[in-house]
Amino acid sequence: MLVKTRYFGEVDLDDDKVITFDSGIFGFEEYKRYALLFNSDAENRPTISWLQSIDEESLALPVMIPTVVMPEYNPIVEDELLKNLGEYDDNTLSVLVTVTVPKEIENMTVNLKAPIVINTATMKGSQVVVENADYEIKFPVFEILTGGKKGKEEI
Amino acid sequence: MLALSRRINESIMLGNDIEISILEIKGEQVKIGIKAPNSVPVYRKEIFLQIQEENKKAVASEQTKESIEQLFKL
Repeated sequence: MLVKTRYFGEVDLDDDKVITFDSGIFGFEEYKRYALLFNSDAENRPTISWLQSIDEESLALPVMIPTVVMPEYNPIVEDELLKNLGEYDDNTLSVLVTVTVPKEIENMTVNLKAPIVINTATMKGSQVVVENADYEIKFPVFEILTGGKKGKEEI
Repeated sequence: MLALSRRINESIMLGNDIEISILEIKGEQVKIGIKAPNSVPVYRKEIFLQIQEENKKAVASEQTKESIEQLFKL
């Protein structure tokens, strides 16, 4: 199907790439169908991708693999909350966190408190609030991503 | 909004499997007990609103895709 996207123009998306969020995501509860889009020029699947709504072109959130900025990230989620994702095991669950990049790019944060969980076996997704009390909604990551590496000046 | 008066140790049922109880009243603060199936998420409203707000900010980013991608190439 042809889907208009915010960052990737019009893309031809296979039906099996559609991820259904039965409850939507926080703040956008009415949008249920998404796809994960990323730059396919990259050799490996990049750390950053976009969760794009199939039904609303302007609705796209940058999402990333949390362990890049917090290797020990280990969200605790009530099993029952994942029930609507269908049958899953550790290999079929994919956990991503949303990335907020404000005008001042060095204030960028990720939301460790409410990750996006996707069951690739059923292509169902859900944004869940984790029980870990110390996981922040606004966890700063700019320093972690750029710290001590060359190229920092380019930003 | 429906408003019901309850005393301490009294409850309200929402449907037949969610029970809200008044456990303690101390000055301005009320301690509420919630018995609900595990499949029903329970949030403090301010957390709920903050997460909604954070998603909206993530969507509203003024940065281009390229400048965001650049951050991950370092």
